[in-house]
Amino acid sequence: MDLKDIKAIIDLMRKNSICEFELEKEGFKIRLKRGPNGQNAGAQPDEQVGANAGPGLFTPSQPVQPMVQPPKPSQPPEIDIKSPMIGTFYRAPSPEAEPYVDVGSEVNPDTVVCIIEAMKVMNEIRAEVRGVVTQVLVENGKPVEFGQPLFKIRPAE
Amino acid sequence: MPWTFRNAPSSSDTLMFEKILIANRGEIAVRIIRTCKEMGIKTVAVYSEADADSMHVQMADEAICIGPPPSSESYLRIDRLISAAEIADVDAIHPGYGFLSENSHFSEICEKCNIRFIGPSSRAMEALRDKAVSRALARKAGVPVPPGSEGTVESEEEALSVAKKIGYPVLIKAVAGGGGRGMRIAHNDISLKKCYHTARTEAETCFGNSGVYVERYFENPHHIEFQIIADTRGNIIHLGERDCSIQRRHQKLIEETPSPLIENKYKDLRKKMGRAAIKIIELAQYNSAGTVEFIVDDNGNFYFLEVNKRIQVEHPITEEVTGIDIIKQQILIAMGEPLKISQGDVHPRGHAIECRINAEDPYDDFRPSPGRIEMYYQPGGRGVRVDSHVYSGYSIPAMYDSLIGKLISYGRDRREAIDRMSRALGEYLIAGIKTTVQFEQNILQDPDFRRGVYSTGFVDQLLRRGSQ
Repeated sequence: MDLKDIKAIIDLMRKNSICEFELEKEGFKIRLKRGPNGQNAGAQPDEQVGANAGPGLFTPSQPVQPMVQPPKPSQPPEIDIKSPMIGTFYRAPSPEAEPYVDVGSEVNPDTVVCIIEAMKVMNEIRAEVRGVVTQVLVENGKPVEFGQPLFKIRPAE
Repeated sequence: MPWTFRNAPSSSDTLMFEKILIANRGEIAVRIIRTCKEMGIKTVAVYSEADADSMHVQMADEAICIGPPPSSESYLRIDRLISAAEIADVDAIHPGYGFLSENSHFSEICEKCNIRFIGPSSRAMEALRDKAVSRALARKAGVPVPPGSEGTVESEEEALSVAKKIGYPVLIKAVAGGGGRGMRIAHNDISLKKCYHTARTEAETCFGNSGVYVERYFENPHHIEFQIIADTRGNIIHLGERDCSIQRRHQKLIEETPSPLIENKYKDLRKKMGRAAIKIIELAQYNSAGTVEFIVDDNGNFYFLEVNKRIQVEHPITEEVTGIDIIKQQILIAMGEPLKISQGDVHPRGHAIECRINAEDPYDDFRPSPGRIEMYYQPGGRGVRVDSHVYSGYSIPAMYDSLIGKLISYGRDRREAIDRMSRALGEYLIAGIKTTVQFEQNILQDPDFRRGVYSTGFVDQLLRRGSQ
């Protein structure tokens, strides 16, 4: 296996939102793992993908343990901004525009963090909390269901 | 006589379904998914947060959470169902029973969004939109209806004059009522005056529609219904009757086919009632599966009650004696296929009984008994069918209905079906919650039930005897 193959595997993992890949054969073993604070702002967290990413959008999830970071003692626990509706998640008001928020963005309750489109209606979703975005959990243009975590926020003290 | 096609244009073309969304939960969602799998159609389950561990979610190819536990915030949310249907890119929605299955607004929105609704068109639903309108349509079709008012009664005086004409006792019924609710019995003018006003208020509060009508009250009639299937090209058949007289507070407990009353006493009723059912369906230009309900008195007189515009809980017994998958027929019809079964092809054979198993305590006034099923073992063997969504370790949520399964037995004759049902009920092992299994067994053992001599007063009489 050469660097080209490894890059191809990483690409496939990213495209299919796979977080861990392991391959073992004669005298050779490779393990690739994408961290929860991956380089890709649009990476989906473990909970959203079943171990077998099937052809459907929402394959019934097996109870996968999320990769939890040991809590940093001096900071309040992160909270999720969850989807209040079913639709398609967009990070920006239009395809050419900048995303509403990114990792590191400060938000307050009225900040629009994303758009969820349902039946041709673009719904602006507000943060409803004060804090800083630590993760973007859904890829742009992907469908979301009710209650699905969209962003991780470190709330302001 | 096939009439010219009058349904919405979108349903006139034949469309192969690749994916169906099931807008329901529990055992019926599992039932629908099973037929879809057999037909090679992909399935999308929707669920509230309380149903994340439910069987239909696990069985479907995809599952989408549509809201918090309350039905009003999930299974009844048309906007969320349509959004889910859109993002999952489904061809059709099966509404099951209850929830939005008879909601013409939902049927219409599906039509507008180019999603096929597996059920009657919104027009057909409108033609049978409430009990009073359906009564009038039945009359027009020449089918006997219980003596009563022409349509709704708009005043106390009108109610009194109708009662005077038809004679007491009378029923004041909410036009939008259902499940045995929204009915009051009046035995004379004084009670009628009182009932009329309370009935109207109650109807407004419970059903959002204060319309009421007046009908003769039959004491302990027999409840006999006919399953019909109609395509979108005017072909209509009936699949025989179901006797659903074993009820408690107007909730069915046990259903069977054929009806012992018809088999033993009034065999010619089957043809007459079947024809009447078809006439009503034809006049309403109804399509998909439906059930025409009648009441029959002890003298063999039958009267139309209403049409249930959906697949029904007790459909399995008809499937067992006819060999026809009714859900599959619904799907084919929604695809635009013509009905390939003619009336002459329908030959019910043998006898089938269904017992509804509810998570209720029969010894505590049937109080619901939600909670975790610690251990579950369901009956099996020859001639036994279980339609259920529960399993060992499953927690029954408290906010939906208490039906946890349906036990169906089939036999070559009624005796065999009863013995088999009794045997099967005895095999049930459900630990952790209370169920009605033993109560059903008591009914099965009752001599009158076994003789096939019972009416809608049966369960009350049994309960009264038991408490003495």
